[in-house]
Amino acid sequence: MSSIELDSVSKRFGSVEVISELSLTIHSGEFIAFLGPSGCGKSTLLRMIAGLETVNGGEIRIGGERVDHLPPGARGVAMVFQHYALYPHMTVFDNLAFGLKNIGTPKEEIARRIEEAARILEISHLLQRKPGQLSGGQRQRVAIGRALVKDPKAYLFDEPLSNLDAALRVRTRVELARLHQQTRATTIFVTHDQVEAMTLASRIVVMNARKVEQVGTPMDIYGRPATEFVARFVGSPAMNFLPVQVRDRGGLASAMLGDGSVIDTDVPADALPAGAELRVGVRAEAIRVRQDGAIPGKVEVAERLGDRTHLHVRLMDGSTLVAEDTGISQVQPGDAVRLAVEGATAHLFDAAGLAYHARQ
Amino acid sequence: MTDVTLSPGKATAAVKRPTGASIGPRWSNALFVAPYLAFYLALLVYPLFKGIWMSMLQSDMFDDTSKFAGLANYYRLFNDKVFIGSVWNTIWFVVMTVPAFVAIGLLLALALNRSDRTSATLRAIFFGTSVLSVTIVTIIWKMMYMPGNGAIAGIMRFFGMEPLAFTTTASLALPAIAITTVWWIIGLPMMLFLAALQQIPGELYEAAALDNASRWRSFWSITMPSIRRTLLVVVIYEIVAQFQLFGQALLLTQGGPNNASRPIVLFIYEQGFRSWNLGYAAAASEILFIIMAVAALAQFFASRKRVEE
Amino acid sequence: MAASERIVGRGIGNKVILASVVLVAIVWMLPIAWVLILSFKPNSELMISTASAFHPPYTLKNYTDIFQTSGVFRWLWNSAVVSVGVTVGILILSSLAGYGFARAEFKGRDVIFILVLLGLAVPEQAVIIARHQIFSDLKMHNTYPAIILPGLSSAFGVFLMTQYFKAIPKDIDEAAMLDNASRFKIFWKVLLPLTIPAQATLGIFSFLGAWNDYLWPLISATKPEMFTITVGIASTQTNFAQSEGLGFLMAQAIFAGLPVFVVYLFFQKYIVRAVAGAAIT
Repeated sequence: MSSIELDSVSKRFGSVEVISELSLTIHSGEFIAFLGPSGCGKSTLLRMIAGLETVNGGEIRIGGERVDHLPPGARGVAMVFQHYALYPHMTVFDNLAFGLKNIGTPKEEIARRIEEAARILEISHLLQRKPGQLSGGQRQRVAIGRALVKDPKAYLFDEPLSNLDAALRVRTRVELARLHQQTRATTIFVTHDQVEAMTLASRIVVMNARKVEQVGTPMDIYGRPATEFVARFVGSPAMNFLPVQVRDRGGLASAMLGDGSVIDTDVPADALPAGAELRVGVRAEAIRVRQDGAIPGKVEVAERLGDRTHLHVRLMDGSTLVAEDTGISQVQPGDAVRLAVEGATAHLFDAAGLAYHARQ
Repeated sequence: MTDVTLSPGKATAAVKRPTGASIGPRWSNALFVAPYLAFYLALLVYPLFKGIWMSMLQSDMFDDTSKFAGLANYYRLFNDKVFIGSVWNTIWFVVMTVPAFVAIGLLLALALNRSDRTSATLRAIFFGTSVLSVTIVTIIWKMMYMPGNGAIAGIMRFFGMEPLAFTTTASLALPAIAITTVWWIIGLPMMLFLAALQQIPGELYEAAALDNASRWRSFWSITMPSIRRTLLVVVIYEIVAQFQLFGQALLLTQGGPNNASRPIVLFIYEQGFRSWNLGYAAAASEILFIIMAVAALAQFFASRKRVEE
Repeated sequence: MAASERIVGRGIGNKVILASVVLVAIVWMLPIAWVLILSFKPNSELMISTASAFHPPYTLKNYTDIFQTSGVFRWLWNSAVVSVGVTVGILILSSLAGYGFARAEFKGRDVIFILVLLGLAVPEQAVIIARHQIFSDLKMHNTYPAIILPGLSSAFGVFLMTQYFKAIPKDIDEAAMLDNASRFKIFWKVLLPLTIPAQATLGIFSFLGAWNDYLWPLISATKPEMFTITVGIASTQTNFAQSEGLGFLMAQAIFAGLPVFVVYLFFQKYIVRAVAGAAIT
């Protein structure tokens, strides 16, 4: 397995710069996710690593060797495509064998590798079928198998789960996690689904509008989002944002909402820009319905998810936020409630969207 | 998935130096289009310009020489009653056939746009004649038009009428060729319209029926707007195609009687390969080219304007 | 339009329409039926009047005469050689060029493609005099290559195949690139097999076009032994009125029309699809 280094790579389509001066190091054996909304450049970046897009500036190194001028086949990586991209007229066996034949792998070696990969992926009984005769999940496995047999320096996944139905997606996710734990292969996984990124990756690269917003472990991304974009994009329901006035409370910031109620955060007050307009960011699970809660409001919508209930609450000053209640919550739309905020998990954001967190 | 024992990679890529394709422009990629381009340049582009050059030569077939004559051939063409007549004949033929192709093609398509077996058979019948060669089609229609022994003459006599001599009467020769042509290749416009009709979502008609739209109303409010593009394609295609009238005229009437049914291409053929006035024929073919290009362009712009309005 | 077939209250109208189209179709077939009947009549009787067509005697002699006297077989063979040559040539050139224009980038490619498309607007008649001159200069008239080669310059197939290659998802090529396949291998092993429906469409189209082509073979092939069937049958009909062989001519026409008709019956689905496809592109 090999590390992958991106050294201030840039990409232009015509005059539009889609990736500018991006640097990133992916360690050997790491499972890394590129997470972001569509159009953020994550797929382009992956395709640049694969050699399917030209690089307009910077360097890409795989296992220390510079590859950005090599054709895709010479880079020693394998890719699993969103729509699988299986060769429709070839059997599963031939799909898997094609790449190995092209580099002159001996026949017996090809057969051995395919047999092994098919066993791992439980597709041995499908080897003589054609892709058209397979279900979506089976095609997915074949696509993974085609990568597996090549024993590549790195695996590149381009939204591989987005074409599966919900149940299959969850199952495949678990299988991918297991596969990675066993192979310990360097893997890049592009997705717009935060759950996939959170559950699979050892590190997540959150991208937005052609640049990297944050690189970190899943819990870093979730617990200490670097920017408002990351905070909003990761986590469901999205983090609540409310404009606040901040006061210094013994070195830590206290945030006063529009209705006058106060959230005591653990964010150091001296780190905050003076006189800036700030907003507090709180996740729904940090806002609970409690009789002694400080913030009064009225429930407009109650979304019952079974294990928990999301309450959309309008506050006195007209702003709204989403709070979490238990699954057996008796709260009805129209009810007046009082909310208690767990200030220790609250974040503050400045006008530019930069985040300020509690000390670790 | 069970345990993984995929053998340690023996650096697969090192087995043989890979020669895989890469993205981006490569000169070697031009090799894919080169063979066709060779034919294209040699047998279409070169003849096109050579034809223009030839149209400005006056050839002498006795000593096989030719000399540059500028636009003399063109000047002569515009004063050649036979040529001018052939231009009018061709235009008249286009005016007769194109509306017929559109109207009959659309009517057949509307009637046969169904999924039952009868409709499929009928479609096959109407399209089937298109696969016959012009030679066979003209034999068939000679047997229809023959003054004495023809089928139409027989039918007219049966009804107590005096049989008409279609192919030898000046006013009937071109219409007779037009009827033959429509019979021959009505299948293409019909199929084009059918393809367009099948693109219209059935829900539109169901919604219209729920809105109390009559069949007539549905046709004008849903069908016609939906197939406008195809209508344009059919009209342009047929104009261009019918301007090239040749075989039917040569084989049914030889351009007669008295030049009444001689189209431009027949004029070119006769000048070029019967009288061997190559320069003169080349000039006529350039004029045909220009007329066709103008007709297609005019139609294209006219319809685009209408769509934009 | 299965949906509108089902709309309640339109059943009777639909039936009336269908019945009228059936009538029209019967009229449509009358000319062919007429020729078919005549082809089974003795020539001597047709000399007097074709009115005898509906009474016996009928005979197969006109057809058996074809086997003995006419050049039809030679012409059929010529047509087969020419049509197969044109078809194979067009398929090879158009597939290569279609892949090139759709997938294999090189500088100036898009400009060249537009120039090729402009070729669609050049009618055969505009270049036929010069083409004839070219093949005259090469002393190639009355050979198969002379009849075949001009057909290979048509841009239609290139256009069709380019559109078809463009419609194939690009990630298939990309997967093949990652699998270390060369440009030609991607074309030959990966994409070409996916274009078989288009090959069938273009192939049948080209075959029928070449088989029925009249103008160029008429000009290029002047020796009867090089006639295609289309030119050959035409050559026999120019003076048929005086000749003894009206029924014989009809039989020749039927016989000559048979091969394409069989092709049509077998490949009707593809032919229809080809026509529909040409409309959409």
